[in-house]
Amino acid sequence: MGVVLGYIATLGVYFCTYNIFALGLNIQFGYAGILDFTVITFMAMGGYMAGVASLGPSQPGSGIYYILGLSLPWPLALLIGAAAAGALGYAVGLIALRRLRSDYLAIVTLAAGSIVLGIVGNSNGLFDGFEGLVGVPQPFAGVLNLSPNSYTLFFLGMCAVIMVICWLVANRIYNSPLGRTMRAIREDLDVAEAYGKRTFRVRMTAMVTGCVFVGIGGVLTIWFITALAPAGWGTSETFVVWAALIVGGRGNNLGAVVGSFLVAVLFNEATRFLPAIPSFPSLIPEIRNMCIGALVILTLWFRPQGVIGERKARFFEVPLRTDSLDLAPAPAAASTN
Amino acid sequence: MSLFLLTLGFGIVTSAVLALAAVGLSLQFGVTNYVNFAYGSFLAFGMFFTYTAQTALHLPIWLAAVIGVVATGLVAVVVDALVLEPFVRRGTSGFFLLIVTFGLSLILLNLVQAIWGVGFDEFQVAAGNPVNIGPFSFTAAQIWVVGIAVVTMVAVHLLLTRTNLGKSMRAMSDNAPLARATGIDTRKVTLWTWFISGCLAGLGGITLAFNTVEFQAFTGNTFLFVIFAAVILGGIGQIYGAMIGAIIIGLVVNFAGLVISSAYDLDAAFAVLVLVLVIRPQGIIPTIGKA
Repeated sequence: MGVVLGYIATLGVYFCTYNIFALGLNIQFGYAGILDFTVITFMAMGGYMAGVASLGPSQPGSGIYYILGLSLPWPLALLIGAAAAGALGYAVGLIALRRLRSDYLAIVTLAAGSIVLGIVGNSNGLFDGFEGLVGVPQPFAGVLNLSPNSYTLFFLGMCAVIMVICWLVANRIYNSPLGRTMRAIREDLDVAEAYGKRTFRVRMTAMVTGCVFVGIGGVLTIWFITALAPAGWGTSETFVVWAALIVGGRGNNLGAVVGSFLVAVLFNEATRFLPAIPSFPSLIPEIRNMCIGALVILTLWFRPQGVIGERKARFFEVPLRTDSLDLAPAPAAASTN
Repeated sequence: MSLFLLTLGFGIVTSAVLALAAVGLSLQFGVTNYVNFAYGSFLAFGMFFTYTAQTALHLPIWLAAVIGVVATGLVAVVVDALVLEPFVRRGTSGFFLLIVTFGLSLILLNLVQAIWGVGFDEFQVAAGNPVNIGPFSFTAAQIWVVGIAVVTMVAVHLLLTRTNLGKSMRAMSDNAPLARATGIDTRKVTLWTWFISGCLAGLGGITLAFNTVEFQAFTGNTFLFVIFAAVILGGIGQIYGAMIGAIIIGLVVNFAGLVISSAYDLDAAFAVLVLVLVIRPQGIIPTIGKA
């Protein structure tokens, strides 16, 4: 019983983190139309910075080297992780969000992701290179003294609270004038600019906010698994978040929730516990990646708006003038059919 | 000084590989007007088709390479006809086409890895003694790479300037609806473009494999944004621009490896990409309305 409960709680934590990633990507892509093809890099940045902020100083003899090592309490580590992800998002945005065609934006984000991966992997002094960080302290773990299963349940509760806060903030942004501006820019950047909107600033706000969300998800990830290495954040991981958003329904936060459940939990994480085929240990991950790619393409073909599409805004329309003779049919006559 | 010349020589070889791949990407980018993120997997197909033809069928390397190139071209045609063309015909916006090619890259790369495995492979070619040409020192394979690239560039030039197909491709690149209105069979031209783009990708992959010696499924994909950098530096859809871009990026990457560290040579390509986007996003040879 305990095993099943632990398994479900683990999937629950994954659901919360992927949901936060998907909400962040939704702010970037669903609201503002920014093609961020390196979501997972911001997750890693958030996780790493929170990790080195809460770990103790790096021991010279241990062979594990990293920067900072501040032994800060977890709320500060969370803030540092989120801020670092946002700062990296700002840096990428400075290059990518200039008035260029959307392909360039995608290329720059993809290139920036592989550059960050290369730098983090190759420089051992930053976050211990390709070995990655290990033994990141978990919040409240020392105080509560729980068994692993109970701690997972407690951590699930913590993730759920943070997820709900993120969800409320994302919804608040969607309905705010800022969110409306973002969607206007997504639909047509030139028109939004012609109406006097500061498109660069608004898109940058969307980029940084999304990255902060993803960074928070990254902090939760590193707390949960207590380790993070560059092998864990490749391009295929980014695509899982994209798949969650596309399948669930971009531009709709409820869609992001549904998508994270369907893709990230049911499809991506639940199948990780399938037994590997001994002679082909990498076959199941390969098939899973192929299926996720196919899932996105099929969704875009058969249901481009996703499972739960974005509700289009409805506005009061001025009725056609009927007194200008027969130029326009009377609306009343049209509605009787 | 000799180290400088040696690096220059390696830079020329990298430029040759890059030119093959960049011209293929730029050609398709120009004609269809969306970028193909699955291009890295085409490089992998070129490598592994050739590898199989050489090791399983025991063909000589040149014949294996020809098979690899043509087979990669066919893969590109199948991918376009089966997946991308339907989306284009439906009028899917550029955003979603990019996501589709991104998904395709995930599918195709994992397919290559599932078929040919995760390990590193290499072509069986006699190493031979280094050949000295003037101040440079090359291996036989490297001379082949540069020679193939030069011949291919001339062939692409002749294709685009002397043949009806090439002229149609340039017309489509300039203005697709107008090209269709003048009676060009744009669907056929698009398929041919994908075939040539795939062939060049396959050739790029094979030469890349010669250059790196060992290769695996993701070798081409890590090279992908270096190819993008060359294409953007040259200007979208500008074949000669892509060639110039490839030479510049190839030299920069190798000299950065010499000056800083070879672990960071890709970062140099990224730095060039950023500089281009900040200073001259339309590229060396701009195309009106495409930056």
